[in-house]
Amino acid sequence: MAAGMNPHTGGFHGAARLREEGRKVVRGCEGQLGHWEKVQRDYDALQERLHTLPDELSYDVMVPFGPLAFMPGKLVHTNEVTVLLGDNWFAKCSAKQAENLVEHRKKYVKRTLDDLRAVVKSFEDRARFAEGLEEMSGAKGDFVDIREKVNSEETSTKGKRRVAHKPNSRPRVEHVVDLEEDGDGEEHGRMAGWVLSEEELWARLDELESAELLQDQHDRTCDDADGNAEDATSSSSEEEKEGEIGGQENGRSQLERWTSDSHSAQVNGIVGTNEARDEEGDVDGQEDEESAAADENGNVLPTIYFSHTVEPKKVRINTGKNTTLKFSERKEQKEQAKKKKKNGRANGSSLHEHHKITTPADIYRVFVDVVNGEPVPRKSILKSRSRENSVCSDTSESSAAELEERRSAFGRVLSHDEPAHSDTSDGIAEEDSPPGVPQQPSKGFEAFSGTVVEKDPLPLSIPHLTIATPALPTIPERKSEEVAPDASPEPPKRVSKFKASRLQQR
Amino acid sequence: MAEAIQKKLQSEVEKYQLLQKDVSKSASARQKLEVQLTENSIVKEELELLAAQNAVYKLIGPVLVKQDLDEAKATVAKRLEYINGEIQRHGTVMSELERKSEQHREVISSLQQEYQRAQGRAGGKA
Repeated sequence: MAAGMNPHTGGFHGAARLREEGRKVVRGCEGQLGHWEKVQRDYDALQERLHTLPDELSYDVMVPFGPLAFMPGKLVHTNEVTVLLGDNWFAKCSAKQAENLVEHRKKYVKRTLDDLRAVVKSFEDRARFAEGLEEMSGAKGDFVDIREKVNSEETSTKGKRRVAHKPNSRPRVEHVVDLEEDGDGEEHGRMAGWVLSEEELWARLDELESAELLQDQHDRTCDDADGNAEDATSSSSEEEKEGEIGGQENGRSQLERWTSDSHSAQVNGIVGTNEARDEEGDVDGQEDEESAAADENGNVLPTIYFSHTVEPKKVRINTGKNTTLKFSERKEQKEQAKKKKKNGRANGSSLHEHHKITTPADIYRVFVDVVNGEPVPRKSILKSRSRENSVCSDTSESSAAELEERRSAFGRVLSHDEPAHSDTSDGIAEEDSPPGVPQQPSKGFEAFSGTVVEKDPLPLSIPHLTIATPALPTIPERKSEEVAPDASPEPPKRVSKFKASRLQQR
Repeated sequence: MAEAIQKKLQSEVEKYQLLQKDVSKSASARQKLEVQLTENSIVKEELELLAAQNAVYKLIGPVLVKQDLDEAKATVAKRLEYINGEIQRHGTVMSELERKSEQHREVISSLQQEYQRAQGRAGGKA
């Protein structure tokens, strides 16, 4: 019977077994049918006899006497029979009544017979079906077996497998898990709570908003140069920005771990150009560079750029709503204070240390403003000297030596800061960045940084540029804007800037 | 290891067999009851066919004891009731037994797997 329920499981063998089982059942039913048919015949005969029995008053019969002997006798009381009703119940009744009882019994027998016949018929049908099935599975007939394999991977949802919540668990946890998964690449050891994620989301929104604002500003700066006025901001905001930069930096650097290596090579080249361009900017057209930076930020094209370091404005506009950022900022301040003290002791620390530049971001850390005696990272190193000086004078002390000291302090502070930030500040803000936008590989910085900027700018920057240009075709506008005009005429000046600062120190 | 599992398996199988015996006993009892039910229901129907003047006897041992028709009807009705109750009881008992035997089957199959694994390990070592 079980084989009849699932005939597909056994295939050919199953079909044979199915037929066998069906035959067995049919045979059993046929035996019962024979029995009941005999009963029916008996009842028929009995009915007949009962019908004719009362016709005569008495009958001469041979009475069975034990199993062997018969003796002649006479059957009297022909209209009087005792009927076994069943369960040891007997009833004395007339032949006519007995006939009725027999009729009743016959009905029952007939019902049973019908049932049995139905069973036999159904099993014969099944047997026939089994034969057909055999044909089908043997692929002899015109039947085609259509089978669809169920792939378990396909059936599962595209993400991880969904698991029903336990009765008491809150579904909100699921969201947190999702967010963590998103930011997984950046922060592995971080335990992101729901509230934190929300804040991160807000931070991201702020960032996007700021980018938008920056775009607007960029448009304005293109028209006139007074967009620079906005750059002179309070020290706190600058610090904040610095913190943000650090955070972003960390986030990116962590992201980079899973960006492909093949990518990194390309990125490296672009980094080089970026840096080179920064240098150009320093020497050359400040507004131009500024706008370029903004431009870089503005058109979010799938090219590899360190927009976060190149355009400080973007971060500056970012409000201090983000608690995590604030935290990092505070920490940074503390760190700064510490470093400053240390620096005060070891005042004229080696210049090389000051300019230890591992990332493009470090370039900005070299240039520091002083606000109330505390070194503050400048928003843009691309501003003209005169403006820088003016800012410094605004903030109070601006002697060259002090500036240098601050620079050195800051350079170290930040270079030390960076790893420290990696766990406190979050790169979550970057988590939504489209995969098409590549990230800078941390390895890549070291490859070019020190040399490009300081030592041998002319020969190195140019090869970088040449490498980079093929990777840049996505922004032809910028390429034409600065790379072409700036790169060629300015190189000698570029050296002079750093050299000048160094000379100043000496 | 393998011997312990085998011992356990054997005891489980014995238990399972005992259970199966119970199940089959209960099933056969139930079948008997079913037969009695049909018989009694027929009796009841046929008693309905009889007239009041018909004598009704109950075979008790070797003797036929005369019974009143109404009394006989009542007795048969009671008997039917009893049989129905018995059938129900057997049904619950049987489902319980089935459940138990299912559990045992699972245990046995897991034990079998364990045993096979143990044997395989032993074979691998040897």
